[in-house]
Amino acid sequence: MDIDINGAMHTLPTHADDPAMPLLWALRDGLALTGTKFGCGIGACGACTVHVDGAATRSCLTPLAACAGKKVTTIEGLAAAGHPHAVQLAWIAEQVPQCGYCQSGMLMAAAALLARNHEPSDADIDAAITNLCRCGTYPRVRAAIHAAAAQLRKASSQGAQA
Amino acid sequence: MKRRTLLLSGLGAAGALIVGFGALPPRSRLGKPELLPVEAGEVALNGWIKIAADGRVLLAMNRSEMGQGVHTALAQLVAEELGVETASIGLVPAGFDAIYGNVATLEGTLPLSARAKEPGHESTVARLGQWTIAKLGRELGLNLTGGSSSMADAWEPLRWAAATARQQLVAAAAARWKVPASGLKSEGGEVRDGTGRALGFGALAADAAKQAPGDVTLKPREQWRQIGRAVPRTDLHDKVTGRARFGIDQRPEGLLFAAVRHAPMLGGEVGAITPAAVDQLLQMPQVLRLVRLPAYAGGTEAIAVIARTSWHAMRAAQQLEVEWRAPAGGPAVIPDTQRIAAELAATARRAADEGFAFASQGDVDAALRDVPRRVEALYEAPYLAHATMEPMNATARVADGRVELWLPTQVPGQVRALAARVAGVDADKVSVHVSYLGGGFGRRLDIDFAGQAVRVAMEAGGAPVQLLWPREEDMTHDFYRPAGAAFMQAGLDSAGRALAWRVGSAGDAITPRWLARVVPPLSGPIDTPDKTASEGLFDQPYAVPNQRIAHVATHQHVPVGMWRAVGHSHNAFFTESFIDELAHAAGADPVAYRLSLLDDLPRHAAVLRLAAEKAGWGTPLPAGRARGVALHESFGTIVAEVVEVTNDQQRPRVLRVVCALDCGSVINPGIVTRQMEGAVVFGLTAALHGRIDIVDGVVRQKSFPDYPLLGLAETPQIDVHMVPSTNAPTGIGEPGVPPLAPALANAWFALTGERRRRLPLVA
Repeated sequence: MDIDINGAMHTLPTHADDPAMPLLWALRDGLALTGTKFGCGIGACGACTVHVDGAATRSCLTPLAACAGKKVTTIEGLAAAGHPHAVQLAWIAEQVPQCGYCQSGMLMAAAALLARNHEPSDADIDAAITNLCRCGTYPRVRAAIHAAAAQLRKASSQGAQA
Repeated sequence: MKRRTLLLSGLGAAGALIVGFGALPPRSRLGKPELLPVEAGEVALNGWIKIAADGRVLLAMNRSEMGQGVHTALAQLVAEELGVETASIGLVPAGFDAIYGNVATLEGTLPLSARAKEPGHESTVARLGQWTIAKLGRELGLNLTGGSSSMADAWEPLRWAAATARQQLVAAAAARWKVPASGLKSEGGEVRDGTGRALGFGALAADAAKQAPGDVTLKPREQWRQIGRAVPRTDLHDKVTGRARFGIDQRPEGLLFAAVRHAPMLGGEVGAITPAAVDQLLQMPQVLRLVRLPAYAGGTEAIAVIARTSWHAMRAAQQLEVEWRAPAGGPAVIPDTQRIAAELAATARRAADEGFAFASQGDVDAALRDVPRRVEALYEAPYLAHATMEPMNATARVADGRVELWLPTQVPGQVRALAARVAGVDADKVSVHVSYLGGGFGRRLDIDFAGQAVRVAMEAGGAPVQLLWPREEDMTHDFYRPAGAAFMQAGLDSAGRALAWRVGSAGDAITPRWLARVVPPLSGPIDTPDKTASEGLFDQPYAVPNQRIAHVATHQHVPVGMWRAVGHSHNAFFTESFIDELAHAAGADPVAYRLSLLDDLPRHAAVLRLAAEKAGWGTPLPAGRARGVALHESFGTIVAEVVEVTNDQQRPRVLRVVCALDCGSVINPGIVTRQMEGAVVFGLTAALHGRIDIVDGVVRQKSFPDYPLLGLAETPQIDVHMVPSTNAPTGIGEPGVPPLAPALANAWFALTGERRRRLPLVA
């Protein structure tokens, strides 16, 4: 089958073309898009978070069949047209990642939150970011989401003025 | 005291036999340029540093990056001495020569008390032991990232290597310009003469390699521009774009995938697999092969399924019908944590009399008899899993008499040795590529998965195979933090001052078992007194005139390994909860009581005072909140934490943690702060939720829902403060973990009057 990933149609190789196969493995083992990580396979840790039609989605529980006709965005496609996403810049400014393994999922979850909520409260962040991080980067994740939100608000108000 | 001296004398004799006494300058690890492979245009100046054609400095990186920031922090040392920006330094993999080994972590195995090893005031026994171990360590060259030792280990040799390279580059420029070297400076990747004339490192490198370095001196502290700054980490761009390659991201040409399934019982075996079951397996889509995996180092047998994707392999491995068998040793070797806990508690009560005394002074039994007041308590801690976010994995290719491995590991040299044994080739036929580690925490000091990957690749007809453990395998077949128990007794005088401190602890030894698995040439009897069993107990810092701190090593048939902070992870809970009990028994403030016993350890006292001051210790809190404190030294770093807690339906909820530390010279305060924040979260996960239960040989916790990790919503505010220091740097990866559990338990006591002596605090 063909699948829309990061704005381009991809044809899955035969060995990964199974409608029951979770999106995670089609990305990783079919298309070598390895930025999306495997953590638990049961949707508990969030390391595999991608966007499906803009919504943060745990790709380890999303069969390929459910992706037909939808737009998938992975960490590799988060920086639209080569411009880093506000969360990526904030993540560097706050020096968030440690081992970094869970961070693709964290970033995708944060970007999805900010797409629907430009001024998330701490409670909004608590509710939206359920990804697990064994290194304990949570304080920096929270700070970086607030910083990215402020940056996005600034950019959109400047855009409105222009 | 007597036994400890004996132990050290033994080590000292061994050292003297090998080399004789003499000076050990850091240049003994400089290494010859031939150790560094060069590509076209590159020039190696010593075993650590080469210069690319464009003048870029390339550093041989001998440590694994698992989140602790070591790739950035070690580059800072080199950048400092060469006068370049940290971000400009390129990293190349270090080879296997002994110069890349880890000496500092071996020095950390010495059973020394805080007073015996205070920097600048080390006892003669401590100096002798440190010298001997350092010498042995240099001979041995065991390359290991662990024990919070990377910076302490690199501090002299890396700066020395960079300063030597700098002197050679400067000397080359001086010769070119025919001026004295003394007027020249190395800055911005060039050697400059101060008049505007400059030569780039690239143009000088070939000449520099022929120059004698002359008198090499390290840059004085006042001139540091890289060291001591929160230099941004150099690995983060790749880690926010998905480009960073972990073990499971390796994609060599023609890659196949394999999934592992172990016998469910620890130590269990793989019995019959019917031909029909194999046929059925091989008919599943994309499935290629079934491989039986022998038990690694006396552990658990397993099967692996090779397929064209990890998902197909995992699904097939899960569905395969296997007759799993119990361990061949029978019921006596089948662990059960309820039974083990009872046995550890009973053993701990006897251990002060029967165990190996890691510390002993005065007459503790007489002192306990004579005091007006005694306090005693039994503390217990469970088994814990590492639960790295990246499950165990390794990628291997076995072809043409060679083995190639790509994997996340903390011990590449041991991986090479194991791969050579498994494949039956010489070690020089094995290449090991260390990827980023998706968490280590000590789990990747073990190499079971690497041996399995080589074994599976041997059945793959020369194709590379990526072997992956599903999360459930990772959780149920870990090398666990051992369960432990300690029976603590103290005697107080009428003023509440401690005169006697008597401890018996029980638990399985870690180091001898780890050596047997990972470093077989160094392995010895399992019952060798293991410093990690008693660390955090025998070296408690409080001045008590009569002490006996002893440990009984048990044999529980649960695979145990190094877990972040190792013995300190539970022993700090025992020691720091108990000192808190004494403070309350004495009617004293917990901070003041500790300080009264730290007169001769000013660094400990300073750390405790800083944490107390920053936390507002003694100032009123809103109703329903209380503070608790703990102070603990591990891996040379002293950490105090003050925890602020509230009662959320009979469960502690942590609102704020203030952390103060003395880790010697701070190389990168940004990294230190984040390591402490992460350690607080790691410690809080263990204190609140962490437990591995084993019933009839099978681990009950399978994945994150039943082995919960702290989430963002539960994470408190964390403030980190450092005590300024000019001492050599000490560890930061682990020392933030141990004080958290006791500080939390002490806060809970202050809030509720209920003393919780068993981890985790929430059942």
